[in-house]
Amino acid sequence: MKAGEGVDNKYFHSVVLQEDRCIGCTSCLKVCPTEAIRLRDGKARIIGEKCIDCGECIRICPNHAKNAITDKLSVLEKFKYKIAIPSMVLYGQFASKVTINAMLSALKNIGFDEIYEANIGTEIITQVTREKLLKEGNIERPLINSSCPAILRLIQIRFPDLLPNIIDIETPIEITARIAKTEAAKKTGLDISEIGVVFISPCTARVTSIRNPLGIEKSYIDAAISMKEIYGIILRNLNSTTEEIITKSTRESMEWPITGGQSKALGIENYIAVDGINEVIKVLEEIETGRLEGLEFFEGLACDGGCIGGPLTIENPYIAKTMMRSLAKDLPMAQISDEEMKAHIKMYEDNYIRITEPIEPRAIMKLDKDIAISMKKMEMMNEILKYLPGLDCGVCGAPTCRAFAEDIVKGENQKSICIVKTMENFKKKKV
Amino acid sequence: MDVMQYNFNVEKDDFDRAGEASSNIKKILRQLGIDAAIIRRIAIATYEAEINIVIHSLGGEIDLEVDPSSIKIIARDKGPGIANIELAMQAGYSTASDKVREMGFGAGMGLPNMKKCSDKFEVESELGKGTTISMIMFI
Repeated sequence: MKAGEGVDNKYFHSVVLQEDRCIGCTSCLKVCPTEAIRLRDGKARIIGEKCIDCGECIRICPNHAKNAITDKLSVLEKFKYKIAIPSMVLYGQFASKVTINAMLSALKNIGFDEIYEANIGTEIITQVTREKLLKEGNIERPLINSSCPAILRLIQIRFPDLLPNIIDIETPIEITARIAKTEAAKKTGLDISEIGVVFISPCTARVTSIRNPLGIEKSYIDAAISMKEIYGIILRNLNSTTEEIITKSTRESMEWPITGGQSKALGIENYIAVDGINEVIKVLEEIETGRLEGLEFFEGLACDGGCIGGPLTIENPYIAKTMMRSLAKDLPMAQISDEEMKAHIKMYEDNYIRITEPIEPRAIMKLDKDIAISMKKMEMMNEILKYLPGLDCGVCGAPTCRAFAEDIVKGENQKSICIVKTMENFKKKKV
Repeated sequence: MDVMQYNFNVEKDDFDRAGEASSNIKKILRQLGIDAAIIRRIAIATYEAEINIVIHSLGGEIDLEVDPSSIKIIARDKGPGIANIELAMQAGYSTASDKVREMGFGAGMGLPNMKKCSDKFEVESELGKGTTISMIMFI
């Protein structure tokens, strides 16, 4: 499909539809947490404004018609010096005998000059959150992790009053990319623009955030390649590559992509870690109602299991988790000197690793800008709803009867009809 | 149309559905485009009122009234009524049973929280009959 339906990047989305594969079933309509999909002319359409790129539709589609736009390997040709940052989720995708160094060497052999591991970023975030943000009261409690882009976009749409709770530190990958680029420029003497940082992504929402960043002006990541797509090449390379010693991963960092890993690394007790977008919505509702008072940290991840359950992964998240755990036990614990800690806090204070742009609320739920008109439209909606069967069957193309009524009131649906109601009327006429 | 009205039933001891009315009210207000901070105050106050009906009363209802300048929430129940409103308004005072407290409710913050969240707040109660709480928030 036309990604984001637009020329500009405003509504660019990585999640797209392969129209020829879509048979117009209603599976994706039902699972979309922001009701961003409608069936029109027998094909699923993504409403760019509403999509948060969580990838739920990719996961559910029985016809594999939902996909993600990611970069191809040929993107490497654009740069003189190429750096890969694999999501740590990669380590959980291979058989248990494969070492992290073997995976990274095989990845490097594809054509990268250097590999940077994301634990550079995770450790900085953990330290700054623990030693600065949790000790100071500048950000509303509970602190909310900034690492899951689908959750950030969800909060913008559904929980705008929780925006001030989001930790104002960039994501691990973004921080790692900044450090990688700065160091590479120093080392090679090349201009920043000649250095390409490529993220190996398990996540559709992250792909969107690279093109269309949230909280920063421009991402330091130049391209994102789907983990699914590069997996086969890494697998083939495993046998033919001589293993280099690359990894600097630590035991704590290996848990980061798994639900609860961020909270555990912080060493606090008063946290809640939630995965799966629907459960995240439920718990955020509770926070919004003030029921979880005294909570210090909320870790929310859109995918089941955490990032290891990302839509662009190969391995089942539970198996991946076991793999990661077994690799983690041979890794050293993170060691940090006082100087390093001070340097990391300074990076935060200097805005080097900080979210500097405001993350604005996006009130796409409202019916109209004017409250009085909104009220009129809602009245109309309620009138229409009275005539609808309330089955939420999705055949009309909207996920629920309510959404159907909403589309009519907003003038976004002039064509489709309620088949259930039509059939009922038809039967009545016959008798 | 100047005023919009909604009515939600709240049943005694129905912890399964407790919170549904406040959740629906929140959704309506969000669609109307009410400011997020106001919605949050209403969500907290309505939830407290709803839970109060579930725990303390024999059942009741919550009315939502919206006009372009204010939002009114009326929580009405049939039940024992409040013997001493002044005491009930004190933070930490509660008549909830141990069982209810074990479930994490009955901290004695209900009425004070509701008052804190509203611009206008009124309690009317008659012993042996029931309680009506009216809250107004200006938009």
